[in-house]
Amino acid sequence: MLEVRRLRKKYGDKVALDDVSLSVAEGQMFGFVGANGAGKTTTMRIIMGVLSGDGGEVEWRGKPVDFETRRRFGYMPEERGLYAKMRVTEQITYFGQLSGMAPAAARGSADALIERLGLTERRDDDVENLSLGNQQRVQLAVALIHDPELLVLDEPFSGLDPIAVDALAGVLAERTAKGVPVVFSSHQLDLVERLCDSVGIIKAGTMIAGGTVEDLRARESRKRLRIVVSGAEPGWTDRLPGTVVTKSDRPDGTRRDEVVLTPADDQEALRVAAQAGRVEHFGWQEPSLAEIFREVVA
Amino acid sequence: MNIVLLVARREIGVRGRTKGFRYGLLVTAVLVGVLASLPKLLGGPSEYAVGLSGPRAEQMAAALSQQVAQREDTAMRFERYPDEAAARKAVQDGTVEAAVVGDKVVSKSVVDDDLSVMLDTAHRVVTTEANLATAGLDPAKVQQAQQVAPLTPVMLNGTGEEAGVRLVMAMTLVVILFMLLMQICTWVAMGVVEEKGSRIVEILLTAVRPWQLLAGKTIGLGVLGLAQLLVIAVVGLGAAQITGAVPEMPAGTYGVVASAVLWFLLGYAFYAAMFAAIASTVSRQEELSGVLTPATMLLMASYLIGFFAARTPEATLTRVLSIVPPFSGMVMPVRSAVMTVPMWETALAMGLMVVAAAAVLALGGKVYQRAVLRTGARVRLRELFGTAA
Repeated sequence: MLEVRRLRKKYGDKVALDDVSLSVAEGQMFGFVGANGAGKTTTMRIIMGVLSGDGGEVEWRGKPVDFETRRRFGYMPEERGLYAKMRVTEQITYFGQLSGMAPAAARGSADALIERLGLTERRDDDVENLSLGNQQRVQLAVALIHDPELLVLDEPFSGLDPIAVDALAGVLAERTAKGVPVVFSSHQLDLVERLCDSVGIIKAGTMIAGGTVEDLRARESRKRLRIVVSGAEPGWTDRLPGTVVTKSDRPDGTRRDEVVLTPADDQEALRVAAQAGRVEHFGWQEPSLAEIFREVVA
Repeated sequence: MNIVLLVARREIGVRGRTKGFRYGLLVTAVLVGVLASLPKLLGGPSEYAVGLSGPRAEQMAAALSQQVAQREDTAMRFERYPDEAAARKAVQDGTVEAAVVGDKVVSKSVVDDDLSVMLDTAHRVVTTEANLATAGLDPAKVQQAQQVAPLTPVMLNGTGEEAGVRLVMAMTLVVILFMLLMQICTWVAMGVVEEKGSRIVEILLTAVRPWQLLAGKTIGLGVLGLAQLLVIAVVGLGAAQITGAVPEMPAGTYGVVASAVLWFLLGYAFYAAMFAAIASTVSRQEELSGVLTPATMLLMASYLIGFFAARTPEATLTRVLSIVPPFSGMVMPVRSAVMTVPMWETALAMGLMVVAAAAVLALGGKVYQRAVLRTGARVRLRELFGTAA
């Protein structure tokens, strides 16, 4: 369990983090979302000890995180960092050894990752000669080489093609299946929604929403009602209580209206719909993470 | 410690396999080899061919042979020609370097200094002899009177040749020390910025402590510098000895080389820590040369002082600067190459340099540790040691 409590950080007079807390359980994937400059990278850098906060705690398995603990974490920083003039295998192995692996073990682990990430053909190339997408795979391999207990990845999916995204998602899922918590930030909200068990939304240094995707949905979901009615007289929607968000009617044989509204009284809305015609669908609309994000950040 | 070695090994492996390093080392070795054998290669022939013609040809041959006998490493071959035309042709063909025809010396161009002196002297002897004989003196007595032993040199500071060799050695030493320190310390600085600028350092520092990273980098690149120094020393001294450019190494040559290595290490510790600390305050290679200027100037100043110290090893200023760090790093090895420096001065200079290097290492390590993760704008030293930091 990774526990981050009440992190605070100021850059001069600018408040970067204000009481940011989050927790990620073993085997969970945590998606960190927020606008640019909201504080995601700062939080991750403090977790990794690359930056020191002005207050707050980071605990791993109930103990404050120190240098030796962090050596067992895997980290992918926002701005990618690799030695340009080092070969792929050599580089990944080197980072493994720095994390305390024996040479042979590091080499074996590097070979396995290279194969898993589809870098086999480029294994002896200097990193500077790789495409950006391939460099990113090497970067991920560097974060994974020592079989870390926790993964902290800043924008791991940015710049990857769809196939590489699937490969990376697969690799991360393997790790969570082994019980490794994964924290990653992303602007690709559909991806976060698909992959993550829990999500944290940060705005201007403050966590404004957090929890499992279902929790967030539940919290946000009783806001939009979707009603489909067939055979109703035109103008019936004017009688609905609340604000109509979208409205459509199909001009085919039988009239069929689809309405999304923010209801003032859902039971009253049901009665109005039932009186107007045949209710084919009546239910709360599940918002996507992107919609929730826009809603809470706005 | 294991980590430090790991970092050092990476530096050696990655930097050592670049074409720049390999070819650089090869070129240096060849250059040093050629330079060391240059005195011999440019020394000109020590075997001369001289053409003789005219009535006193035999006397000239005898007088010249006598002079050759007094010199080491010199031989002379004589060719007789019936007339000037034949002698001129022989010179033109290159059969002989010069031909003496009566009162003239025929040569293609300016005659070699040594040969010129011998020819002049022989001519003077032969002519004087003839003149005195004409004046009615006994030729045997004249010849006896002409026998003059050359002045025996008595040099208070050893043989002139040895002093010359020592001076050349000292000059070469200061150039080599300067170039190596400059090169390797710049590599350290560039390496620091490479890691900081690309943010590799963020990943590194989650696994490695800042001092381990800095120590590994400095040691690794230092080994490469030391390797270069040894190659230069071995090739240089070897070539000088094999070609015979220096017939005998002056006493204590190996001591001079050993002390140069020691001074290189001390100077390297001092400047590498300084360069690394300064480099850690910027994030881009383009900013590097600007911020390094003060450190580069200091190194350059040591170099120039060392260079002049080679000629004035006894001056008070030289003595003082050969003890004060960091100038001592270059002035002292030069001084000890040229002259015998009192033991206590060497010991004091080394002691002070060790203290200075340790201080710069400690301070530089702190600066590095605090600055290396602060990417973006240049980090001011005030910020690092201010109350806020």
